Amino acid sequence: MAALDDSVARVALELPLRANLTARDNIALIPLYQRHLNAAESTRQAQAMLDGLGHGDIAGLRDPDMTPAQRFVTQLARALMLKRPRLVIDRPGAMLYDVPYPAFIQRLAARSEIGGTWEIFDFDWNQALYPQ
Amino acid sequence: MNFLATSIESLGARFVGWISVGYGLFAFAGRAALLLLAPSTWNRATYDVVIKQVYFTAVQILHVFLGYALVISWLLVTIILSTAREFGLTEFATEMTIRVLVLELLPFLTALFIALRSGSAINTEVALMRVNNELDALAHCKVPPMQFEFLPRLIGGVISVVALASLAGLLALLLAYLSIYGLTMAGLSAFTQTVARIFDFRIVAGLIIKCALFGLAVTLIPVVSGLETPRKLFMVPVSVLSGMMRVFFAIVVIEVLSLALKYI
Amino acid sequence: MNAAQSNPFHFKVGLFVAFSLLLLSGFLVYLLHARGFFEDTYRLKLAAATADGVAPGVPLVFSGIEIGRVSALGLNDDGGIIIQVDLLERNAKWLRQSSTFTLDKPIVGGAKIRVDSPDLKAEPLPDNSTMLLLTSDISKEIPVLVERVKAILANVEHLTRKDGEIVGTLANMQTVTGRMTGEYGMLESVLGSPDKARAVTDSLDKTRALITKLDGLTLKMDGMAAKADTWLFARDGMAAQTKASMVQIRAMLDDAQSSLKKADALMANAVEISSDVKAGTQDIARLRAEIDDAVRKANALVNEINKKWPFARDPEVKLP
Repeated sequence: MAALDDSVARVALELPLRANLTARDNIALIPLYQRHLNAAESTRQAQAMLDGLGHGDIAGLRDPDMTPAQRFVTQLARALMLKRPRLVIDRPGAMLYDVPYPAFIQRLAARSEIGGTWEIFDFDWNQALYPQ
Repeated sequence: MNFLATSIESLGARFVGWISVGYGLFAFAGRAALLLLAPSTWNRATYDVVIKQVYFTAVQILHVFLGYALVISWLLVTIILSTAREFGLTEFATEMTIRVLVLELLPFLTALFIALRSGSAINTEVALMRVNNELDALAHCKVPPMQFEFLPRLIGGVISVVALASLAGLLALLLAYLSIYGLTMAGLSAFTQTVARIFDFRIVAGLIIKCALFGLAVTLIPVVSGLETPRKLFMVPVSVLSGMMRVFFAIVVIEVLSLALKYI
Repeated sequence: MNAAQSNPFHFKVGLFVAFSLLLLSGFLVYLLHARGFFEDTYRLKLAAATADGVAPGVPLVFSGIEIGRVSALGLNDDGGIIIQVDLLERNAKWLRQSSTFTLDKPIVGGAKIRVDSPDLKAEPLPDNSTMLLLTSDISKEIPVLVERVKAILANVEHLTRKDGEIVGTLANMQTVTGRMTGEYGMLESVLGSPDKARAVTDSLDKTRALITKLDGLTLKMDGMAAKADTWLFARDGMAAQTKASMVQIRAMLDDAQSSLKKADALMANAVEISSDVKAGTQDIARLRAEIDDAVRKANALVNEINKKWPFARDPEVKLP
């Protein structure tokens, strides 16, 4: 998986958010450090990304204050912000244990304007949850 | 015989351990110094984190720290003055006060203060970041943790210790003047003469370098110690413990070295 | 939005940094001012016979306050020493044509050059002028002083040593007076009654006050107890012997006392000279101990004499 890192953006349990930053700042780190945008522009992009996923209201929350779904959305937004060709969601069941997650991810995917492939890796006993 | 071999082995292991800790520290400091020169470091984000660090390390505790410096300075000035008067060495009281307080004790206490308050916090935070995989997440996002998390802490620590030690030193100077001469301008020329004699270029530069090294020690060592934490939550207190021991050791070494350079 | 979010930090940190920088630059300016960065340096040359004890950094002191420092030392063409002293312009007003410059080398603390300007209205000393440096070196005088006091103390020691003249005389006297205060005490045996004996001891009190005049004492003894007188004189010339011994002791004691007085005076002198030496140097401390020792010995001597004195109202003179 590590070898794929440059082309793959991952959403996974073992890639948590930075705990002392708000959701917006977590996402804004990427344009700030990779594209060397200024702070205001980075923050605006991060907010736009969250708004695009329909969760603009969680921008000011920190990791410990979020529900699992909110945390997942933030992690997803961070992964999308990386703008890599592939997006891998690694075992969403471990992160999204409070919502029926296949439908939830579907809804998010429908809202997102960013293209590319979304791949979901999950345990095979969860296969029944996904619409074929 | 067996006992001897064991103790020699443990001594060797300890020595190697110290060497590797020292090497790790200097290697980290070297990487940080190289990054300082890189233009990509100097963006708004780093600057913001530096400001945040200065705020938490220095500004937030300013009133507490100055109160504490005031009490310590007042006590020591009083002790030095009364002792000097008793032995008829009043003419040396000013110099003694400045040398003891401004040059040695206050920077040392400032470093200890910052180490206790911010050093331990930094160590814990870095250790938790490592245990929680947050550093891996940052690496996945290609956000360099050195520039984003560590370098600002080092810079903030250096700025804070230098600024706080200078403020405490100025406060002590003022206090010393007031204690010795009272609320008059009468002693100003004699005091000025003494100040001029003590603070030559070497002393001022040495003082600033010493404070900067203190600031570096109380942030660099906790960061490195936090990064060395094994990925187990229960190892965090152990990491903080050993990190703070190293900080204390480093502070003492810096102080002793500065004294040796100054007076030997 | 960003501004709103980091405003409290930025404002407070900005305030802190600005405040610190302001204070530090203020201190820097003060320091530069103190070190004379904004002023011209005033130079003074001091001519001295020797550079002994003078080194760059030795302060120039006026009324106890440092106003300058020696910056360099050098020889002139005639082999004399030229000491260069740097002062700040503002301190130059303390130097006058009539000023004297003295090199002080106290026992404790570093050497310093003292300026005395008795007349501050005299013509100011121009820049780069050359003045003469005098030396008042206490540390050179102290050993001489110590030697003198030691010689005197040795004298005292010699007088009071175990087999010395005074001790020998005392022993001699003890045998004589022993006989007088024996079982048949001189006074009682002579006078025959306690009342009379008391009268004698009373008058002997007076005599004790006149102890320095041993001749006078014998005269009174003559007048008071003629019989005793004759008895005393008749028997092997004991009284004469005693008298001679006492005169001898008195003379020696006088000698010792005057020696001690001399030592004391020298000591006072030494203390006065080194009055800025609070704790005292080893030499002074040793001197003091020696003098104390001598004084103690002399005191013991006087006590002993008092004890053995045949006419003192002591338990030895048993009155019935």
